Amino acid sequence: MNLSSQEKLVPLQAKDFRSDLKPIWCPGCGDFGVLQAIYRALAAVGRPPHEIAFVSGIGCSSRIPGYTTAYGFNSVHGRALPIAQGIKLARPDLLVLVAGGDGDGFSIGGGHVPHAIRRNLDLTYIVMDNQIYGLTKGQLSPTSPRGLKTPTSEYGSLEDPVNPLLYVLAYGAHFVAQGTPADMPGLAEMIEAAIRYPGFSFVNVQSPCVTFGDEQSQVKHHRAIMKSLASVGHDPSDRLAAMGLAQHYGTELHTGVFYRNPTPPPSLDALVIERQKAMAGTGLPKERILDAFLQK
Amino acid sequence: MDDLVIGMAGSGGDGIVSAGESLIAAAAYEGYHAMMTKSFGSQVRGGESSCRVRLSTRRVHNPGGNLDVAVALNWEDFLKFGAELPVSGTTVVIYEAKTGIAPAAIPLPGVTPRDVFPVPITDMAKQAAGSDKAKNTVVLGLIAGWFGIARESILRGLSKRFASKGAALVQANERAFALGEQFAREHPLSTPRAMDRPPASSGTKLLTDGNDMCAAAAIFGGCTFFGGYPITPSSEVMQFFTGEVWKYGGAALQAEDEMAGIGAALGASFAGKKAMTATSGPGMALKTEIMGLASIAELPLVILDVQRGGPSTGIPTKPEQSDLFMAAFSAHGDVLRPVLAPTSVADTFDVTVEAFNVAERYQTPVIILSDQEVAQRKETVDPIDTSRFVIEERRQPTDVELEDYARFRQTEDGVSPISHPGMRGGNYQGAGIEHNEHGNPTASGKMHAAMNEKRFRKLAPLRRRRELFHIQGNESARLGLVAWGSIAGVCREAMERATAEGLDVKLLVPWLVYPVAEEIYRDFFASVRAGFVVELSHQGQLYRILRMYTEVPRGVTSFCRSGANPIQPGEIVAQLRNAAAALQQPVTSIASED
Repeated sequence: MNLSSQEKLVPLQAKDFRSDLKPIWCPGCGDFGVLQAIYRALAAVGRPPHEIAFVSGIGCSSRIPGYTTAYGFNSVHGRALPIAQGIKLARPDLLVLVAGGDGDGFSIGGGHVPHAIRRNLDLTYIVMDNQIYGLTKGQLSPTSPRGLKTPTSEYGSLEDPVNPLLYVLAYGAHFVAQGTPADMPGLAEMIEAAIRYPGFSFVNVQSPCVTFGDEQSQVKHHRAIMKSLASVGHDPSDRLAAMGLAQHYGTELHTGVFYRNPTPPPSLDALVIERQKAMAGTGLPKERILDAFLQK
Repeated sequence: MDDLVIGMAGSGGDGIVSAGESLIAAAAYEGYHAMMTKSFGSQVRGGESSCRVRLSTRRVHNPGGNLDVAVALNWEDFLKFGAELPVSGTTVVIYEAKTGIAPAAIPLPGVTPRDVFPVPITDMAKQAAGSDKAKNTVVLGLIAGWFGIARESILRGLSKRFASKGAALVQANERAFALGEQFAREHPLSTPRAMDRPPASSGTKLLTDGNDMCAAAAIFGGCTFFGGYPITPSSEVMQFFTGEVWKYGGAALQAEDEMAGIGAALGASFAGKKAMTATSGPGMALKTEIMGLASIAELPLVILDVQRGGPSTGIPTKPEQSDLFMAAFSAHGDVLRPVLAPTSVADTFDVTVEAFNVAERYQTPVIILSDQEVAQRKETVDPIDTSRFVIEERRQPTDVELEDYARFRQTEDGVSPISHPGMRGGNYQGAGIEHNEHGNPTASGKMHAAMNEKRFRKLAPLRRRRELFHIQGNESARLGLVAWGSIAGVCREAMERATAEGLDVKLLVPWLVYPVAEEIYRDFFASVRAGFVVELSHQGQLYRILRMYTEVPRGVTSFCRSGANPIQPGEIVAQLRNAAAALQQPVTSIASED
């Protein structure tokens, strides 16, 4: 993230990013913790709210931009990433955050993820992964474990889940992390690091659904099983090791940075700015653009 | 002779289209009015290809009807184009002698053209250039020889085109051209048909197609962002942007799919930039959801739909006017979305600039409904004075308004000042969910009704903009034509011919095809007793929409047919003649309506 336009000398606080809107989430929803972590991360990064564009899709978690004071865009199901990329390409000076659920990101919008990764615009994508469709009252999601019983899988799901971590690593994401609201300060640090990373960064948050999620996915259970990647001696610059650990998605709860490319390539927005600079003034003046068609 | 229509067909490698390109470029340079359409089989390479070039000393409105000159490099390919290359008794027919078909036996049942010339085109090319690749240059020589067109300019164009490939190739092509001319001199037409020179006042022209014109107009209108996905026949718009937009401080994105293309464009608009996307029917279907988002989020956005034959894949390379229902109505919820249709390459400029102005002024998605013919035909255009265009910008909040900012504030005209990220105090949430004036989600029926009313109210002035409608002919005429898009050009010529015949007829061409401007149609139809809404679609979609919103006189019917079946001006004139005759009859049922 480019911090050059950081203009405020008065430090921003988490409360500066909190809007007056009361979340619609169920009491105890994991997304409350994610929201707190985002407030903290944004305060630490220090860009004022009006320089932030926060885009989401549809779902419980996609309500999140409205609970911040940033410019928000609660768009349509699955299309948060394309909209966010348009914003970043049009206005590379903005801090662009994208958020949504596992259905938004890995089911209906799944086709956009690989392209956001390979394009590598400098934005941060936070998925609140609860393994369920909460807003529509508890159906199977793309990350629901095999065997899960839901209103659309009365006898247990017969399908394997998507592995979001392995998926984004395989597509070449340069920054991949996972957190849980069970460790909110850790999650805030992780989101801050993702925002500061110059390029596309991905944070998967295991964010429990208290209403439709199973017991194994609740915060209480997270506290018991979560294991920081640092504690298992993981080197986040080792992409293959990250993929090895990511295979345990769904059985273990690793938190921390799976992969962080220590030599990040230039982001697309940086390349676009370079191209714009190199080509500025080489076109016909706009009012004479039709001269290009004159038969000379 | 002041008007000449040439149709040529061959197989992919024959260079027939590049012969057409040379001819129209030379014509534009000389100051002729000209138009060129290309038509291909569906193969990417090889297969049949054809082009039609119309040259005139007067302004032309369409690529013409029957051919004055037909060139067949082989008959099999020529015949595949059917009604697109219609031959009559006065057509000069030129064909490759190598086909071995006798002039009396050419496969054109029902017509016996007076002048039929088998020409050893391949042999002449080989003789002149040592290669049959110069066949198209021989054809140019034949046409220049018989019709006296643009000799120097064609040669000049050839030498420019081949300059980079060496002097030897330039000379070979000059020899091929000379052989063609010589053949024409040695085989005169039954009646000489030399083309008139364009008037001296007719200066050098612009030469381009509707897609490039649209993209250039968009950049002129201030567009700095394009997001899209390749699709025939609109991809040239994205190609223009990806080549040019960086020079104007903008960016373009070839997205992973149609939804992402329009999504990125909408994002750019949210971020404060003028943005567009371009597609054709199948892409429109996929973009529909985000068009709905643009409507409720009240974000300016221009969507170009270059119509082709449908439904589904349909006929991707041929024109049709069958996306109007989709453009006007495809949405969930109550949506009013302006639809503007260009009728020519020239007015694609005006319509595109207007589309951006409407989008920005009313904070709405606007559809430019072009079609394959307007988009891909080449046309000479008189230089356009860009200083006569006003470029509108979205209404931004003042500092005072930012002190107590509400993004969707109910204003008198329904247009609320719009902020964008980076603007301090303008922070708001854009959303597809229904919202109150501050942009906060609501499920209140009262608020929903108020917001729907606002989103419709702000567009009300659009239907009263008479400059978006072009009416020609006698105001009190009893015969009336209505036409939109590329077919309007056919009707303009039909109007001229019918008027010359003494028929009392008028023509209405809307640039704004939706919403329907009730008052303008009511005034137009007031004197009309009979007539036609002319369209290139099976259903006649504008006719049906007009009947939804206005009183269409009983004598006005739909004259339409499926795409890829061109309508000729002569057919419309014949229809008008019949209608006029019927009005002469003392039919009591019509009279009693007066």
